[in-house]
Amino acid sequence: MHDGSGLIAVQNLTKQFGSVTAVQNLSFTVSPGSVTGFLGPNGAGKTTTLRMLLGLVTPTSGTATINGRQFHQLGQPGRVVGAVLEAQGFHPRRTARNHLRVYAAAIGVPDTQADQVLSLVGLATAADRAVGGFSLGMKQRLAVATALLGDPQVLVLDEPANGLDPEGIAWLRTFLQSYARMGRTVLISSHLLAEVEQTVDQVVIISRGQTMYYGPLEHLRQQQQRRVLVQPSDVGALATALREGGVLTIEQLVDGRLAVSGVDSKHVADVALRAGVSVYGIQEEQVDLERIFFQLTSGQYAGQAPAPYQQQGGWA
Amino acid sequence: MGNLVQAELRKTTTTGLWWGLLIPTVLVALGGGLLSGLIGRAFVDLTSSADAEQLSEMLGVTPDQWKFSLFGIARSINLATVFPLIFGALAVSGEIGRRTITTTFLTAPSRMHTMLAKMLVYALWGAIYGLAIMGFVALGVVLTSSSGQLPDSGGWAMLTLVCVVSSILMTMFGIGLGALIPNTAGVVVLLTMYFVVIENAVLLGLRIAGTPETVVGFLPNGSVNGLTGSVVVDLFLSKAGVVPEEAITFLRMFAGAGGAQSWWLSGLIFLGWVAVAFGGGWALTARKDIT
Repeated sequence: MHDGSGLIAVQNLTKQFGSVTAVQNLSFTVSPGSVTGFLGPNGAGKTTTLRMLLGLVTPTSGTATINGRQFHQLGQPGRVVGAVLEAQGFHPRRTARNHLRVYAAAIGVPDTQADQVLSLVGLATAADRAVGGFSLGMKQRLAVATALLGDPQVLVLDEPANGLDPEGIAWLRTFLQSYARMGRTVLISSHLLAEVEQTVDQVVIISRGQTMYYGPLEHLRQQQQRRVLVQPSDVGALATALREGGVLTIEQLVDGRLAVSGVDSKHVADVALRAGVSVYGIQEEQVDLERIFFQLTSGQYAGQAPAPYQQQGGWA
Repeated sequence: MGNLVQAELRKTTTTGLWWGLLIPTVLVALGGGLLSGLIGRAFVDLTSSADAEQLSEMLGVTPDQWKFSLFGIARSINLATVFPLIFGALAVSGEIGRRTITTTFLTAPSRMHTMLAKMLVYALWGAIYGLAIMGFVALGVVLTSSSGQLPDSGGWAMLTLVCVVSSILMTMFGIGLGALIPNTAGVVVLLTMYFVVIENAVLLGLRIAGTPETVVGFLPNGSVNGLTGSVVVDLFLSKAGVVPEEAITFLRMFAGAGGAQSWWLSGLIFLGWVAVAFGGGWALTARKDIT
């Protein structure tokens, strides 16, 4: 049986669909007690990776384990891992409660658990309605409820925010964080860093089926150097004064401002005062995680700017 | 395993499919039964007239002792079991089509467990459909036949047995085909066309060409029809006196068992087809990437 560690381990995972390599030699681990974001642009291989982890897709090579075991070795998988996947369906004429009772029976938990998870996701009043009439957001909540049926130690969610309204997203965020704080493992995928930035502690960033970054989000933030953007009355004089003070990373922006790295705005303002240069505007540039994310993942499907219109040869 | 069987059972009872298909099943069974009795009676009336004397002399019994309605019973059962076939065909293809298969596999120890649980639950449903078919065919026949045309209690028991067995096997065959062709509309149309039209057209073609029909008894529809048809022919012959070989060939045709082997051999042949279909569907489902 599994070791109960709550650890997700992906090692040298590769999947080929015919001539298309969806995932290439991917490795990362996810520890319990934190929410890990699994990030990458659409088509980067996130869904395929999660489906390999969940035993739905057979890897071409490599392994993906939960609690030290591959999915089919877990025994009662529903009690170890719960999953919310894209394109996970419901029978349109089955009610929400009946849907949950089917899978409660499969997992081997009492039927009362179905009502409990319905209340947990806020669907108690819609329990006896057929799922066919549910909105996208309600279906997503029901998918979360299904994942929680077996009270699993590990929760895997593929783009769970799709279709959720802002209230639902806020609820999910709080819920996942408290779930992880109970010492459980939460892995959540998204193609938008901003969407999960406030939720996750760790990130795995993949692009073109390969790992680009894997570690705490905080480290990623620190990688980005902070810059001070300043609009002086005399660009040359301020730059010279800064260089004399030992600040060498100075860049002139196209709008005429100076971008100064490695110091804070107070230092720049003090230097300007001593040099007798007026400062019309000064700001510290915000850490822009989205830009790092973009740099890490860009290029997979790099689009081109439209070609300028040219009349071709007439009506020959 | 018990958990998964309960889950599969709940899947079948929490949607309307089981009764949605049971309604046409009992209508066909009842209609077939009523018609069997009427045609049987008309046939006896016809043959009881003067022309039939020679025939009855040959057979050694009078026409009113002939249990002609038996043939209609076999035909009605064969037609009505197309519905449990469809019910089975939707077991896996429906889950793949609606993408509920993902959750099903996520909550089962293995795909083998899921398929086994489905097999057990659908065998039960096959038996329920089989009993309903037999019940309504019998009701129809009893309403329109004269009592002399009805089988005795042993005959009824035998008919019930082959009806239930053929219904269960048809359901299993459907599951296998549905897993092999995971497109609900496609597999339903294909199976219905095959069992109702295609194989009968092949049979007709063979007959016209004058080639032996024995090959039909080894095909899926021919063998499953042989299961019911051969029992009916046996039951008819047991009360019909001495019947010449050529007449038996005709009787088998009437019973829808043209070219078929004896009932138990036909059953075994169809069981072989079920094993091929179910085994193939099982193997495919076990390895399939669910994307």
